[in-house]
Amino acid sequence: MESRKVTFRIRRFNPKKDEKPYYKDYTIDVSKGMTILEALQYIKDNIDPTLAFRAFCRSAICGSCSVKINGYPKLACKTQVFNELDVYQTDTLTIEPIDNMEVIRDLIVDWDKAIGKMEKMRPYLIPDPQVVPDTLDEESKVYPEELKKYDSFTDCILCTTCFSVCTAVKHDENYGGPFGLARVYRFAVDPRDSLKKERSKVGYSFDMWNCVRCEKCADACPKHIAPVDGIMKLRGLSIEVGLKDNPGARHVMAFYKSLLESGMLNEVLLPLRTKGIKGVIENLPLGIKMILKGKAHSPIMKPIKEHETLLKVMKVAMEVE
Amino acid sequence: MGKYAFYPGCAAKGASRELYESTIAVSNRLELDMVELPEFSCCGAGVLEEIREVLDIVVNARNLAYAEKAGRDIVTVCSTCLLVLRKAKYLLDNDDDLREEVNEILIEAGLEYRGTVDVKHFHWVLLDEFGEEGLKEKVTKPLSGLKVYPYYGCHTVRPKEIIGYEPSENPQSLEKIIKAVGATPVSGERRLECCGFHAFWPAPKISMELTGLNLKDAKREEADCIVTPCPLCHMNLDANQSRALKEIGENFKIPVLHVPQLEGLALGISEEKLGLKRNIVPFKTLGGAR
Repeated sequence: MESRKVTFRIRRFNPKKDEKPYYKDYTIDVSKGMTILEALQYIKDNIDPTLAFRAFCRSAICGSCSVKINGYPKLACKTQVFNELDVYQTDTLTIEPIDNMEVIRDLIVDWDKAIGKMEKMRPYLIPDPQVVPDTLDEESKVYPEELKKYDSFTDCILCTTCFSVCTAVKHDENYGGPFGLARVYRFAVDPRDSLKKERSKVGYSFDMWNCVRCEKCADACPKHIAPVDGIMKLRGLSIEVGLKDNPGARHVMAFYKSLLESGMLNEVLLPLRTKGIKGVIENLPLGIKMILKGKAHSPIMKPIKEHETLLKVMKVAMEVE
Repeated sequence: MGKYAFYPGCAAKGASRELYESTIAVSNRLELDMVELPEFSCCGAGVLEEIREVLDIVVNARNLAYAEKAGRDIVTVCSTCLLVLRKAKYLLDNDDDLREEVNEILIEAGLEYRGTVDVKHFHWVLLDEFGEEGLKEKVTKPLSGLKVYPYYGCHTVRPKEIIGYEPSENPQSLEKIIKAVGATPVSGERRLECCGFHAFWPAPKISMELTGLNLKDAKREEADCIVTPCPLCHMNLDANQSRALKEIGENFKIPVLHVPQLEGLALGISEEKLGLKRNIVPFKTLGGAR
């Protein structure tokens, strides 16, 4: 069987012993099909029993073995070494603990921060007594078209990979985090839930509008969930329940208005429409620079060709359930 | 050679018109078969999804339908337009019920979505049509000695299921373009980090901090300039540069070019045609590399 010599450069850190983290190299023979987890286990069994990492099911379902491979977090059990060598055109892979959480030891991080955030947002079913029967004699029905709205989000295995890559988590202490906020959305559209859309207010207070839409959570999720999509939809629900007087919601409406007016975004009116006079004043220095460089268009915009077809389809799209 | 429908997006038609100008100039010089369709509307930048998912998809199905009518693949120069259009296409192509629902709406406007065209980024087209070697042959003024920071940002690489042009963990398309024009790509720790543009209104501090850190990384790598495939990243990195650097307590200047501006310079296209005078941080501040 095809085999290659591969060096694993592993970040080691034992806070009880080490002043700071360091890297240690382990070179082993890797055969085709071997996973990162198998390589880590081989190193632990044969070279260095002090190496610490988490793993359990080896089937991408327990969510315990996420590590950074050359900077990108993946489940070690689901990732083959050869694929990574291909992607980076290398024979050396750097293995590190995932970000945004404290390291307990070597590749093991403390999940409490991520899970604690989720718990605070109460992402569990609070049954609607009008829908959910009192006894188990009757079923609580969810129809396929209802399930479709949140089906993918129920696949989450709490591996915290998305949390570890999240830009907003890194820059905003209060931010709810991708999998937590996506769970809030999941219950907000569950027909059995008693809070439903009102849950979007929880998302609001956990800074859901601070999601930068970097798509890292959607890219990294080993279960192919796009938490960011849940967050976008949760924002939509917050507008529906009346949380309209904030820059995020007004920004959305500015786009909608622009499309109705001309079909293209009116960039010149965007600061005013999103943040009012404050937005204009805040961005005045930039605005002046833009005008001087010939980068500003007229505030009155000519409609695109066939604008009426756009108006027609937008109108119908807003009417259908 | 492919037939392309140019989808400039709102930024290139507005505040980043130098991107529009340079794209047209490069396309003409390379004799691409690319025409702008006047029926194209704003893609909604993903925010229409926040009003109603079907609204977002219908608006973009309409754009795709006009490209289908013209028999041309969509080519955009904006990373967010790329993602929004590709996502609509992905959902429509993989969900029969949704496609049926959307087509029932499009029929009101005499349009139909069939799924016959692709959506590509302009720099992918350059690489796919000519290859790195082919692009090298077209160069008349190699940008030798110029150190360029390849700043991808987000939406030309992520999420892989929808974008999928190259591995999102380690894309190389910008490095290939930089090498093809005779310049040298520097390695960038933050080349795949976000610029924060989409959180600019609700969270300007976060947005500016992210942009500042990206600029600082380019400086640390001693790049002469940054190149980006996205006008929204460009807006934050170039137009908002001084504010972003102030946010992280730094103060320096680094020019930021759009991909077609970099390509155009190497093809010998005049600075005027490439709209270089519109860049807020002048490219001329560069010392001696040209």
